[in-house]
Amino acid sequence: MTALLNVTKLSASYGDFRVLHGIDLTVERGGVTALLGANGAGKTTTLRALCGMIKHSGDVVFDGVDIARCATEDIARLGIAHVPEGRGTFIALTVEENLRCGAMTRKGRASIDDDIERAYHWFPRLKERCGQQAGTLSGGEQQMLAVARALMLRPKLMLLDEPSFGLAPIIVSELFSILRKVNEQEGVGMLIVEQNAALALELARQAFLIETGRILISGSVTEIRDNESIRAAYLGY
Amino acid sequence: MELLIQQLVSGVATGGIYACMALSIVMIYQAIHHLNFAQGEMAMFSTFIAWQLLQWGLPYWIVIPLTVAISFSGGIAIERIVIGPLGEAAVLSHAVVFIGLYAVINSLASFIWDFTTRPFPSPFGAGSQFGNLISNQQIGMIAVTLLVLALLYAFFRYTRVGLAMRAAAENPTSARLAGIRVGLMAALGWGMAAAVGSIAGVLIAPIVFLEPNMMLSILLYGFAGAVLGGLSNPAGAVAGGFAVGVIENLAGTYVPVIGSELKLPIALLLIVIVLVFRPTGLFGRTIVQRV
Ligand SMILES: Nc1ncnc2c1ncn2[C@@H]1O[C@H](COP(=O)(O)OP(=O)(O)OP(=O)(O)O)[C@@H](O)[C@H]1O
Ligand SMILES: [Mg+2]
Repeated sequence: MTALLNVTKLSASYGDFRVLHGIDLTVERGGVTALLGANGAGKTTTLRALCGMIKHSGDVVFDGVDIARCATEDIARLGIAHVPEGRGTFIALTVEENLRCGAMTRKGRASIDDDIERAYHWFPRLKERCGQQAGTLSGGEQQMLAVARALMLRPKLMLLDEPSFGLAPIIVSELFSILRKVNEQEGVGMLIVEQNAALALELARQAFLIETGRILISGSVTEIRDNESIRAAYLGY
Repeated sequence: MELLIQQLVSGVATGGIYACMALSIVMIYQAIHHLNFAQGEMAMFSTFIAWQLLQWGLPYWIVIPLTVAISFSGGIAIERIVIGPLGEAAVLSHAVVFIGLYAVINSLASFIWDFTTRPFPSPFGAGSQFGNLISNQQIGMIAVTLLVLALLYAFFRYTRVGLAMRAAAENPTSARLAGIRVGLMAALGWGMAAAVGSIAGVLIAPIVFLEPNMMLSILLYGFAGAVLGGLSNPAGAVAGGFAVGVIENLAGTYVPVIGSELKLPIALLLIVIVLVFRPTGLFGRTIVQRV
């Protein structure tokens, strides 16, 4: 069985400014991979390149399909949900409409309605605000909405760009237990970028450490966590 | 009193047309954040097509849906061929393209149908109701515009495609990440704007008569309505369109210096006043965004 996501020699640039210099990365089926690195290392850029949002080269094979040259919307349609940096809220739409947008690639009104209830169950705060213009939500609430919207796609793979950003500690642990549940019960693969390395490594089985657009270290989470020097130098805990 | 009511009614009737034009303008503005100057010419061309079909002897009830369908396809074609490829080009590039579109459509109509001013038969017959208070044409205009507006409202509010179109217009990046085909949604928006414009053209043609420049002033009133109501708010633009129609009629009747000749500058004056004192328009939503 090949990996769910197999990335080889991924390079990406903004205009003429090259940010990624040939990155190799994998997410196993049903696996969680953490992508760690300092500010400006190229984590967000990696996720953007995977979704075809910026100019890039290299091979990206998802679920047996080469998506390196696919348009962003087609990549989403194949089952990749991206929780982007900056949340990507549809600010003029209501909270519920935001969730429905997340399910735009799906058919079947009943199952979509069920999933909206599921999202409200997981994030009760969103239920209280369901008819409200999403732009009026607090930053943390919008972050919950971004994760909930991505889940509405019923993805095979989630790309999570700092999902805990701006959330209160208690909400963060709730969020991660939800992600764990989705991963374990539904086998959804995840590629997760987190400033909070300890948190990400609790969920992940594999980790990649990126520095200025190159993978510095990769391996299983146990290897990385047990390596004192890596921990001290790069993970800061 | 009777004059007042008559003027109000006729203001609402023409206001409905302005509302349709304002709505087409806003629909496209929301999708691409540019004002389409060629909107009026597109509507004029559609009206000529309707006239041609009538000339060929087709009955009204076939001509209308056919015209709307042709206009819808035409709008999509314009977006796919001319506007889409422009992408995120600068304001000036868009302006140049719109002016080009304007000129091309206008000269094409003049070339095919020449400059003769032609009468356009009213689909609602000649008579009037309530002791000449309101003509059948006016009743028809009001009824049809209200129907069109209600259908559009329901479409954008309750259908998935409508939601996808709103999402694509508001945040293209997020829309793509959700799998929404943003380009297709923009094309649909152009098609729908063209279709609404064609209805406005056919409704107003019996009053202003048919000729290649018939929509010039209508478009200006439409702009006034859109600006008055707020370019960010379709419902506001519709209300603005009706308001402009009523203001235009009342001012033309009751302010002696204005008369019928100076009505058009009122539209311009309104645009300037609103832009100076309330750039978001009377009903412009300030969309809250946290950073
Ligand atoms: N839109 C852009 N245009 C030009 N350069 C950019 C753009 N976005 C990011 N960069 C550059 O690319 C590099 C990597 O940025 P990226 O956003 O991928 O970092 P990151 O690892 O996600 O950092 P952070 O942890 O701060 O989110 C940075 O040097 C940044 O300056
Ligand atoms: Mg980042």
